[in-house]
Amino acid sequence: MMKGKNRQVKDVIVKTAADFFTPIALVLGFYIILHGHLSPGGGFQGGVLVASAVVLIYLGYGYNEVSKKFNMEIIKKNEALGAILFTVFGLAGIIYGSVFFTNVFANIGNVGDLISSGTIMFMNNSVGYKVLTGVGFLILLMIGLLAPDNEK
Amino acid sequence: MQHFPILSIVTLFLGAFLTVIFGSKNETVRKFIALIASSISLILVLMLIKPIMIEGNIIQYWLGNWRPIHDWAIGIGLEVDALGLFFGIIAVLTIFLSVVFSFKYTKKDSETDKYYVLFLMLSGAVLGLVFTGDLFNMFVMIEIMTFAAVGLTAFRNYQEGALEAAFKYLVLGSIGSSMVLAGTITIYSQVHTLNMAQISALLFNNLTPAALFAFALLLAGFSLKAFVVPFHPAAPDAYMSAPSSVSMAFSGMVNKAGVYAIIRLVYVLFHAMDFKSIQILLIIIGTITMFIGVTMALAQNDFKRLLAFHSISQIGYVITAVGVSTALGLTAGLYHALNHTLFKGLLFLTAGAIFYATGTTDLNKLGGLAKKMPQTAAIFLIGAFSISGLPPFNGFVSKWLVYQATFEANMAPVTIVALLVSVMTLASFIKVAQSIFFGQMPKEFENVKEVPLSMRIPMWIMAILCVITGILPNVVTKYLVSPAVSAALNMGKYIDLMMGSGYAEKILGKPIEIPNIDFTLAGYWNPVAWLVLFGLLLIAITLVAVAGGFNTVSLPTEVDDPKYDVFFSGEASEHSHVKGNDLFWGLKHDLRHYFGFMHDAHSGIINDYALWAIFTTTIFIVYIFLLVP
Repeated sequence: MMKGKNRQVKDVIVKTAADFFTPIALVLGFYIILHGHLSPGGGFQGGVLVASAVVLIYLGYGYNEVSKKFNMEIIKKNEALGAILFTVFGLAGIIYGSVFFTNVFANIGNVGDLISSGTIMFMNNSVGYKVLTGVGFLILLMIGLLAPDNEK
Repeated sequence: MQHFPILSIVTLFLGAFLTVIFGSKNETVRKFIALIASSISLILVLMLIKPIMIEGNIIQYWLGNWRPIHDWAIGIGLEVDALGLFFGIIAVLTIFLSVVFSFKYTKKDSETDKYYVLFLMLSGAVLGLVFTGDLFNMFVMIEIMTFAAVGLTAFRNYQEGALEAAFKYLVLGSIGSSMVLAGTITIYSQVHTLNMAQISALLFNNLTPAALFAFALLLAGFSLKAFVVPFHPAAPDAYMSAPSSVSMAFSGMVNKAGVYAIIRLVYVLFHAMDFKSIQILLIIIGTITMFIGVTMALAQNDFKRLLAFHSISQIGYVITAVGVSTALGLTAGLYHALNHTLFKGLLFLTAGAIFYATGTTDLNKLGGLAKKMPQTAAIFLIGAFSISGLPPFNGFVSKWLVYQATFEANMAPVTIVALLVSVMTLASFIKVAQSIFFGQMPKEFENVKEVPLSMRIPMWIMAILCVITGILPNVVTKYLVSPAVSAALNMGKYIDLMMGSGYAEKILGKPIEIPNIDFTLAGYWNPVAWLVLFGLLLIAITLVAVAGGFNTVSLPTEVDDPKYDVFFSGEASEHSHVKGNDLFWGLKHDLRHYFGFMHDAHSGIINDYALWAIFTTTIFIVYIFLLVP
């Protein structure tokens, strides 16, 4: 690859692979976040998988495309939103149950269904949301540092 | 009421997250959020005083309602006893006053949303650390605390040395956290639980070599968080480059979190204070800490750096007193921890006020500011008298208790060192007072103004608390310190409440007797009498002055006439200001080998400091293996 000159026109193989794998990473990541209370994995693991899509896009399209597509300020706020949601679901334990973090509304649905486990699922999803935004933010920060100055 | 501890922690964290979303644009919003979060937390913790301190209850709280099953603690639990609450009160007080102070203080800084986010995270982590009943949770809180503290150290990254200080803190803090983690893992492999009450029960009379190893690692890790010598070198840099409101939080609660963890570790988790060798170890590191801290402070030229070394030195008093494992010793240690938070917070705020007004904290550049900032000067004097241990201020009471405790434990040499350190503390604060508030005022400070009201209010609150804890030692001891002391010594109750009653007796085999906390203060001292004496002297001097007894008439009122000027070897007087460096040069010259050695030892290279930390940990491990069982 030529140094610094035409970073945006990448290898066609890398670009195709990125196109191919990005949806898979997203779908798998969101699946693992959503099914964290039923199957192995959880919010954290799924969140990291989703955030890895950012790396794939960077590899395929370069820093310019990534910086156009993602707004870091909004990502940062969404990360805090994830944390707030997690705390609010924890506080729901105090309001509807006995103590903080109690799993309430757990009797809805059949065992094994997606919606069957009360607030624990939503806490899991908030963690996933926080991690996918948080790790995504970190990756953007790092590739921002890697990018040559003329692309910024 | 049982929800208060968790709510006080959650409020602070929630405040931090809300600041990210709503406070990034608007200054008023983020101040509002920080103020609301810290005051709610303050109120919730203060409301716990009645049930816990006075009625002697312990609050146990299993998150998610995961109670112990078959005598095994499977969930994360909060357990707030009087010891935890004592440090919790210290923490919330510091948080609240620091937040109020920082409103105006950070006026000139940009991106203060990050400041408030990190500060609220730091506060929540400290509060979580002192309220938790779970060893791994403690580690998590220590990690949050360390990283928030590192971020805050680098907050004024335009200042010289701020990033370097943050890097040093990051490296040393990570070493400490790793040691805590390693110790936690080792304990978990031994007793298969992370609940502190259950660990305490299972480790009773069961100190396997692995448990001793874990003890040494945890002691080293927590000592690093408390900045005990020789783990201290990150502290002066961090305290100096952080904003003063953060330095106050560092010395007021981050340090104290380390001290709390040490007390919890040696008294409750490992029952280690029955061993003479552990007592000696703590007394040795405490004495070294207070001596090296104060001598290093004598040699400093920067106000905040000097305060940082004093902070280290005062923590030495606390550790020494805690090491004297009598009830009196623990009382002295806890009382001094409380007082240290008050007067050192006060002094750091004074430093912040000086920086706000003049833009520097360099002792060699300042001078004569008492005329321009009379309230700050008065507050500074209260803080300086307190830390130097002059009656009737609070430092006197707790230092007296430390002397008495060490002396009664047949540790007269330690008492002598403590007295010597106190004298040197006074000496170095005379230097500070002379170089900042008195003496010649340099020309560039002629337009200096007193700091705004919102900065003076927290300072006055702290100053008043300094006097109150000084003249009412009996009340403070009765309602705050003694319950905490008896909680630290009464591990049977601590275990029982968490694991179900009867558990402690079943595992320990016998009910643990609680030592009676009963002591009388030695000597004929009465703080109120001292206060009256102070007042009388002040009135007498005022009367004499009003009556013209000082004969001010003969003093020249025209200063322009050069014949009345003090003769400074032909130089203009403003060039002859006695600088902070020049005071005590004789002492420094006589001890030049010692100071030279200490100066060379503090090389500023992080590799050296990391080596010190690892080396000292090794010494702890060897010492404990050789001498404890």
